[in-house]
Amino acid sequence: MIGGLFIYNHKGEVLISRVYRDDIGRNAVDAFRVNVIHARQQVRSPVTNIARTSFFHVKRSNIWLAAVTKQNVNAAMVFEFLYKMCDVMTAYFGKISEENIKNNFVLIYELLDEILDFGYPQNSETGALKTFITQQGIKSQTKEEQSQITSQVTGQIGWRREGIKYRRNELFLDVLESVNLLMSPQGQVLSAHVSGRVVMKSYLSGMPECKFGMNDKIVIEKQGKGTADETGKSGKQSIAIDDCTFHQCVRLSKFDSERSISFIPPDGEFELMRYRTTKDIILPFRVIPLVREVGRTKLEVKVVIKSNFKPSLLAQKIEVRIPTPLNTSGVQVICMKGKAKYKASENAIVWKIKRMAGMKESQISAEIELLPTNDKKKWARPPISMNFEVPFAPSGLKVRYLKVFEPKLNYSDHDVIKWVSHALPLLSLQLHSEMSAWPLDAD
Amino acid sequence: MPYLGGEEAQRELRRALSNPHVQADPARYRGAVLRVIRLMAQGADVSGLFPEMVKAGAVPDVVQKKLVSFYVRAQAPRQPQLALLAVNSLRKDCAHPSPAVRGLALRTMCGLRMPGIQEYLQQPLVSGLRDKASYVRRAAVLGCAKMVKMQGDCEVDGALVNELYSLLRDQDPIVVVNCLRALEEILKKEGGVVINKPIAHHLLNRMPDLDQWGQSEVLTFLLRYKPRSEDELFDILNLLDSYLKSSSPSVVMAATKLFLVLAREYPDVQADVLVRVKGPLLSACTSESRELCFTALCHVRQILRSLPGHFSSHYKKFFCSYSEPHYIKCQKMEVLCELVNDENVQQVLEELKGYCTDVSVELAQGAIFAIANIARTYTEQCVGILTELLGLQQEHITSAVVRAFRDLAWLCPQCTDAVCQALPGCEDTIQDSEGKQALVWLLGTHGEKIPNAPYVLEDFVENVRSESFPAVKMELLTALLRLFLARPAECQDTLGRLLYFCIEEEQDMAVRDRGLFYYRLLQAGVEEVRRVLCSPKCDPSLGLLGDQSKQPVNAWALEFNTLATVYGRERWALATAQQPVEPSYSCSPAAGSRSRDTESLVSEGDKEVLEVHPDAPVSEEKELLKAHPDAGSLSLIPDVSLSAEQFERSWLSLDTSCQLCLPWAGPVHADTIQTALRVVHIHTIAMSRAGAQPWKAYLSAQDDSGCLFLTELLLQAAGSELQVSVKQSEAKPEALQSFISALRTVLEAVAGLES
Repeated sequence: MIGGLFIYNHKGEVLISRVYRDDIGRNAVDAFRVNVIHARQQVRSPVTNIARTSFFHVKRSNIWLAAVTKQNVNAAMVFEFLYKMCDVMTAYFGKISEENIKNNFVLIYELLDEILDFGYPQNSETGALKTFITQQGIKSQTKEEQSQITSQVTGQIGWRREGIKYRRNELFLDVLESVNLLMSPQGQVLSAHVSGRVVMKSYLSGMPECKFGMNDKIVIEKQGKGTADETGKSGKQSIAIDDCTFHQCVRLSKFDSERSISFIPPDGEFELMRYRTTKDIILPFRVIPLVREVGRTKLEVKVVIKSNFKPSLLAQKIEVRIPTPLNTSGVQVICMKGKAKYKASENAIVWKIKRMAGMKESQISAEIELLPTNDKKKWARPPISMNFEVPFAPSGLKVRYLKVFEPKLNYSDHDVIKWVSHALPLLSLQLHSEMSAWPLDAD
Repeated sequence: MPYLGGEEAQRELRRALSNPHVQADPARYRGAVLRVIRLMAQGADVSGLFPEMVKAGAVPDVVQKKLVSFYVRAQAPRQPQLALLAVNSLRKDCAHPSPAVRGLALRTMCGLRMPGIQEYLQQPLVSGLRDKASYVRRAAVLGCAKMVKMQGDCEVDGALVNELYSLLRDQDPIVVVNCLRALEEILKKEGGVVINKPIAHHLLNRMPDLDQWGQSEVLTFLLRYKPRSEDELFDILNLLDSYLKSSSPSVVMAATKLFLVLAREYPDVQADVLVRVKGPLLSACTSESRELCFTALCHVRQILRSLPGHFSSHYKKFFCSYSEPHYIKCQKMEVLCELVNDENVQQVLEELKGYCTDVSVELAQGAIFAIANIARTYTEQCVGILTELLGLQQEHITSAVVRAFRDLAWLCPQCTDAVCQALPGCEDTIQDSEGKQALVWLLGTHGEKIPNAPYVLEDFVENVRSESFPAVKMELLTALLRLFLARPAECQDTLGRLLYFCIEEEQDMAVRDRGLFYYRLLQAGVEEVRRVLCSPKCDPSLGLLGDQSKQPVNAWALEFNTLATVYGRERWALATAQQPVEPSYSCSPAAGSRSRDTESLVSEGDKEVLEVHPDAPVSEEKELLKAHPDAGSLSLIPDVSLSAEQFERSWLSLDTSCQLCLPWAGPVHADTIQTALRVVHIHTIAMSRAGAQPWKAYLSAQDDSGCLFLTELLLQAAGSELQVSVKQSEAKPEALQSFISALRTVLEAVAGLES
């Protein structure tokens, strides 16, 4: 269990401190500040043991959240709890920043009181918490609200309260994927995996039962023995998911037996599932960097990007970030398409292209002037990174159906307005092994 | 600037709080209360407002009640008399129609830390346990635990315990889990909550209703249940199967641990479980959440210790990416080292080589040591890479490479030639103490293979005046003397100058004494020097020892998913030393753990004895011994003034408390034993000459309570058993146990080292 929770700003000043257990003394707050926040070297480990007390910390922007305990606890659980706490706080007041925490400190203490009791995690679902947390509104609770608490807390479903009503029943579903790519200096793909998330926003009345279907290989094979030849023709009809995990609301037993994903969704935004695929990933772009050193004070960089998808599709909001050495004095850029700019504050050339069709190629060349330095301080040679949106999921995941049933209230599947966007996943791609074409020493 | 909580501010707030107009307007009233809380949070003293705040808590507004509750809990310990005021209104709130208010009042009352609160608590708690709203029951159940904790060592109320056990059947899942937690705390002395068959089965059936925290905790509680039959065991495992694929990593890990522990007699099942959690673990290792990723990597390393090849096919998942924090990169490198095999060694080395030029010194050196680690198995490739790195002429890289070379030359004699060829030129780049020591050691020990070794050492001697590290000077003395034995003509002059400097000019006493010692040794003749200094130059057997053999899964199953895995066993033992370990988590010192401890002790200890380092390594060894779980409860004091006569008198007057035999092969090295024993504060009173038969030694030690331990070691003939008899001045069986296990550890370590 957790003995205490502290929140610090980047200077190490305590913003929130809540102690649940007597065995955590007042000096624990300072111990963490001195040993971790003010420590000279980099953070050694997210778990620190100081005088037999374990400190688990996570950092959000420049805020430190630390959970403290003297017991031999389950580290994964403490971290998950801290993440959950961050989620809950974000749901209440947006970004976790020093200002927001200071402005909402009463709310935070109230939250800490509800989600932890005596150091044990209690109910932590944002939807369910809303009935207990009473920050807004000065009116005392009506009879109806009181009965809500009772029904909610006695009900079996911890993540949804009863009696939710909406005039328009709406459902949003987004598939967000990010590709992690390791590429060798020679341009070979070392490993690639897609980690994806299916995020839903549900604004539905009553206790709706939802069913979600995707082109999971196992399901497709099970259902359509007759259509097997069809899948053979068109290549990528179904995808093989390496592993996936679900929100608590999904009935795992049903998934295991029938591979169907059915659930009663929480109210509001939540993450339905996370998945990871490693097979047959469509890499939407190829990036080829070329670097030439001209003397000691000049570098010539050329980066070619090639779009690698159907010509009828369009990629949007492409942004390529090419890092430059620290002693750069000036940069001249020429690009065929889009706009490129050297941003001295970020030590990078940022190249933006609004849209680009498939099977096209574009390139940028830059001349980087370097200041001669004797400074032996080395440059980290960060990788080239790239962000873009493309109208398909690199993993090949497709939403086949999303059905809603509500037995008690009479609205049917057709009355629900559904917004399914697996159309615009945000991708980020990282080239690994740095740009080995950079000279080893920048001096 | 006025002091934050100055009198002025307090007075003004008091005026506001007691102003009837403010009280009539809920918004303004709450505003005033909020200001008090704000002041309190800033650390100001607002204790004077207690009566007004208690009164403010009596309004219907729940938000205000919460604020007041927060205030009261923080202030009650400072003014117990006034806190009684609050108790009255809180008791009234316990009968409020709204469950939220009832729950809040209960929590607040249990949170008041003042003497005598228990008598007011009992009745509301009992009615809280039977409340119809589960929100109140949740608070009441944990309230019981808080109350018992406050009472200290009073008798536990049996009726309360029964009530809590019956609440395990409550409808609300959180109440059920809270009951387990509360019972665990209340019954701590009796060994915690009892999980019998009906309770275990009930919990198993409730698992799907629980949230992730509940699931993970219940899985931990279930560790205590011992299934009666094989069928029951497998039924349980089948029931829990889906939790191995849960979305929450903590549930996955808790389930894995439960599986490993329950199936401790079925290695196939254990292996199967580890295969099945591979996927979830790997995805945790590649997840965005850094801290979870770190935790997962620690567990992966633990698994690899038993199943070295387990993740080999996924080695690419453990390649570091640019943006990852340090601690993850370090863990990943460790993992990479452990899953190297013939197929992937090329790629792994290629990858590690990339990290060697990282900007961060620590990371770069870590990568170099990782390569050196792999070099024990794939020597040729690794030495090639390391030699290549020397070409970069970066200070920290060269230093780390040379240190790696030193260890390699010691462990893998076959690579000595390659190492010696790579060395020339390094001396200009190395600046730090560790690196210089390593270089000097290599030059001294393998000097005959390095043509310019005497001249490099000569350079060191030239600059010895500006040398700032005494350890380097010590190393230099030994190395030069060794090289002198191999190549006398080239070294004689240099050695003379160095000895002269050390004896006449050196300020550091240890260096001076070492110089004097060698000087006198030289006077005794070259043969004598050769006898003392020409110890073996390598020890390949150590490399094998360091290569830990496979550990059985059961050796760490109980530690899985606890901090012991995250910190590593040694650090965890150190962190918990001298502190009674929680009974539920106690890690039994299984056979595996002991052998591992002694092994690491051997490798440390051996080097220490042979290289005759000053104190630094000794303290390390001390920690190691302290880390040994058995040595924890006993602390022997370092200085015992016991003369031989006193010893003899006590020895004759006491009866033997314990006798045991230890296997012993080969001859006895008295010095080794003596040094090793001194580390654990056992002193040698007298000892027979080495090689004497029978060989005897008398040892004494004293713990912090003054109890004396007198020991006789007796070795009848070489290659037989070592008989140990221990006498104790006071009859303390527990202390005796710890003493014997400490003694045994040392002796076994020494025995292992000599065989």
